[in-house]
Amino acid sequence: MIEVENLTKSYGEVVAVKGISFTARPGQVTGFLGPNGAGKTTTMRMLTGFMPPTSGKASVAGYDVFNQSLEVRKRVGYLPENVPLYRDMSALGYLTYIGEIRGVRNVKARAMDVLERVGLGSRANSHIRALSKGMRQRVGLAQALLHNPPVLILDEPTIGLDPIQVLELRQLVAELGRDHTVLFSTHILGEAEQVCDSVVIINQGSIVAQGSPTELRSTLLERGGRVLVRVDVTPELALPIIRDLSSVAHAEIAFDGIIATPKSVEFDPRPQIARALIEHDMNLMELRPLAVNLEEIFLELTRAQTAQPNQPVEALESASEDESA
Amino acid sequence: MTELTRNDVQIGSSVPFWAVFKRELALYFRSPIAYAIAFAVIFFLSILFNGYISQAAGQAPAPSGYIPSILTFLTFLIAPLLTMRLLAEEQREGTLEVLMTLPMNEAHFIVGKFLAAWAYWTVLILLTVVYHIVLTQIGVPDLGEAFGAYFGAWLYGGTVIAVSMIWSAVTEDQIVAAFLGAATILVLYLAEIAAVALAGNGDLSWLSGFVRELGFQAHYDATLSRGILRAEDILYFILMIVVALFITTRIVEIRRWRS
Repeated sequence: MIEVENLTKSYGEVVAVKGISFTARPGQVTGFLGPNGAGKTTTMRMLTGFMPPTSGKASVAGYDVFNQSLEVRKRVGYLPENVPLYRDMSALGYLTYIGEIRGVRNVKARAMDVLERVGLGSRANSHIRALSKGMRQRVGLAQALLHNPPVLILDEPTIGLDPIQVLELRQLVAELGRDHTVLFSTHILGEAEQVCDSVVIINQGSIVAQGSPTELRSTLLERGGRVLVRVDVTPELALPIIRDLSSVAHAEIAFDGIIATPKSVEFDPRPQIARALIEHDMNLMELRPLAVNLEEIFLELTRAQTAQPNQPVEALESASEDESA
Repeated sequence: MTELTRNDVQIGSSVPFWAVFKRELALYFRSPIAYAIAFAVIFFLSILFNGYISQAAGQAPAPSGYIPSILTFLTFLIAPLLTMRLLAEEQREGTLEVLMTLPMNEAHFIVGKFLAAWAYWTVLILLTVVYHIVLTQIGVPDLGEAFGAYFGAWLYGGTVIAVSMIWSAVTEDQIVAAFLGAATILVLYLAEIAAVALAGNGDLSWLSGFVRELGFQAHYDATLSRGILRAEDILYFILMIVVALFITTRIVEIRRWRS
């Protein structure tokens, strides 16, 4: 269980995390989602006791992260971003070292167990510098699992892995979620949708939405109103037609189609759009409310917050990444 | 003793600094640098020792403090090489982030690393005892003097290592850490000269005594190296080690909180 209440971290003038609150429950994978620089790593560092919060409270496994840091650390397995490891040690040597510091009994046997669990049993005695990026990532994960902690905090564990390794790792995280509290950060939205039971979306240090992927979707549908239109010709041709409709306040090209914003939330513009396009001899390929997957929810939410027409490059990249997958 | 038992994993009490110490010491002896330092020191000492023996032939008793004194001078080259990596590398590679989120006090981490470097120094000093054995073969060296000088050099080395380790916590750059370490050690080595200069300066002469006491040589050259064991000298070295380790611990903590 992780409980975060009004947590804030500032570095001098810069406020990296602005009073965020959320809860990660046991037996669930909680996705911590946001573009790079949103404050994910800073939050995780506060939760693991690496750095103190400027203000606010957080507890992990029932202990306060600041006042009972040692108790928290005993119960957390942490995989930092970029997976720092000692290159000059073997995988087994490294885990034994960490285990000795943690006071794990029969540390060699336990280290072998976790290496088997992450599929590295046969490479236990290889030097870490000789392991591939994906293998190193798994050594880092083994390190986090070594003392079988009730809480796992994983900072972008799938970054830099090849597609097969990503799938394997997601599966492992989902499995771990059944009997651990897992907080899992990512900037790939499809990943959060796939793996997480609950999602916290953070942007520029603030939480912009939280809930299960399904909840988030329905909230946005209610709030939304914006619809996505795809036609069988280039969207530029359909754009003026949609723009001129009485129910549409604004239309623009995005996602290979057109996003139309209605004049009023109560009035669904879809019937009018459909009729108009067919009257102009265009075939309607798709017409649906926007924000049905997390990518779009994310774009919607960050658009509302930053109030800028241009999408963050980061989010667009992950959108295309997911599409190609 | 067993707490936090989940499934088959048992967590007992641990002595983290011991684990850190073992890893760091093993690392010294796995890297070429330890052997390079040992070889260079022994080689250099043997040349000096040879010249010294032929010059001092016929003197009785043979001064036992010769080799330890040279060793203490050489610390400004040796200690920075031993300590530059210790914390700078962990900060640069980010491995500190994992270590500092383990249930371990920073002090364990710092002390473990310090003791490993000091243990290496101990081995180096033990190697140079061979020169003393040669002395016993050709003369009648004073055993008490020898003990004081070697014991003093051992303490001296620990102090110098602790002081130069501070710089490894300050910077992520090993070369910078080594350079600043060497500079600091030289300044503290030469403090006696500064003290003499200050004593001749009317306005600042009151500082002279303090500067002299702060330096290494005032507590080694005239006393320990001649076999005179003074409590204040031993206390000086121990205090310097404790203060330096405390400073290093605080720096690591402050850097972590700001990272």
